[in-house]
Amino acid sequence: MNTMQSLPLLQNALTVGAILFSLGLVGILTRRNLIVMFLAAEMMLQGISVSLVAWSRYHGDWGGHVLVIFVLTVAACEAAVALVFVLQAFSRTGRLDAAAWQSLREANVGRTIDHELPAIDTVPLRFPTLTPAGVLPPADENEPLQREHV
Amino acid sequence: MTPLPFDPLASGPLLAGAVLATVASLWLLLPNGRDTTSARWLGALLGLAALAAFIATGRRLGGLGEEAVFLIVSLVAVISAAATIVSRSPVYAAIWFALSLAGVAGVLLVLGAQFLGVATIVVYAGAILVMFLFVLMLAQPAGLAPYDRVSNEPFLSALAGAVLLGVLSLSIGRLSAGPASCCDLPTRATATVDTTAAPATAPVATVVDPLAENHVARLGGELFGRHLVAVEAAGVLLLVALIGAIAVVSRGEAAHAAEATTAKGPAAGRIAAR
Repeated sequence: MNTMQSLPLLQNALTVGAILFSLGLVGILTRRNLIVMFLAAEMMLQGISVSLVAWSRYHGDWGGHVLVIFVLTVAACEAAVALVFVLQAFSRTGRLDAAAWQSLREANVGRTIDHELPAIDTVPLRFPTLTPAGVLPPADENEPLQREHV
Repeated sequence: MTPLPFDPLASGPLLAGAVLATVASLWLLLPNGRDTTSARWLGALLGLAALAAFIATGRRLGGLGEEAVFLIVSLVAVISAAATIVSRSPVYAAIWFALSLAGVAGVLLVLGAQFLGVATIVVYAGAILVMFLFVLMLAQPAGLAPYDRVSNEPFLSALAGAVLLGVLSLSIGRLSAGPASCCDLPTRATATVDTTAAPATAPVATVVDPLAENHVARLGGELFGRHLVAVEAAGVLLLVALIGAIAVVSRGEAAHAAEATTAKGPAAGRIAAR
């Protein structure tokens, strides 16, 4: 009996890699937040990494592992350079919106038009608190308020 | 081990149903500006149905323990990956992505990649993701931004992703352990002989990973032996990215200073920065 290769493990791992890659593709196509687009791109890289390691396991070869290490390196470089560009874009427009730069689009691509969105009723979050003990400190009026949403 | 013949008549409708459920689920779950809770619940249910169909098309691994571990870590990876791309709030998306990284690291560990599993956690979740969160906390306005509540062409994108997934699953299901004519690796050639001798339905009792023994040391030897030039090139790439990032930042600050001093509007400032 062959004790080296495992085709079911390869197929299952390749399926997981394909799902991660497809989800990342959908994310990068649809989302408009620049940071979420980069997260989706990193997710595609994760899918590729899983597939490469699965093939490496199947063949008993080191090539996939070595390639994934270089994928990690390139991902780190990409994140550094891309985040600098995102920060520059944010400081110019004040938004993390990809559509804020739609004047750079191709001539035959339609313009992204923002419709008025219905207001959402924001329920203030209730964070868990400890039972107060000791003397209550005096409240500081100048203290900045905590953000209710992130 | 035995090559399970792929049966398109048995798996085809299941796969098609999984693809359709994926399309509908992603279309309902992606931000569309309406924020209806019932649609999102329906989308989540459809997504779980698609996951169940994909699990049903999956192959049985050897042992029950290995199967359970692989199922759990891959479910964590896939579900939190889906939650990453459908989260309205980018901070929640980043945190879901961290959980997805943990699942991916688990998959890598099941696959026997010990170094890469730990490196994924350390490099991605420890460094890259924290950098993303820093930028988010710097740049994110309070509350949900309008551009986080809508998405570009959710139906067509979900269709494209699900069709790609279906095609990939189909070709993955058609993989067989037969010898490929293009590349006869020595490991493959020996395995082919063994495969023909195996009974048709014998479960894989012991699957030994040839890379498991002395894993990290041998990976380092491979990396710094056969791929030494590539390692040097990766080092140069890291250096170039570092210098490039610093250069872009300083140049951008110079442009802002020029805009502030000239005070003739952004266009004049941009020209002055050049």
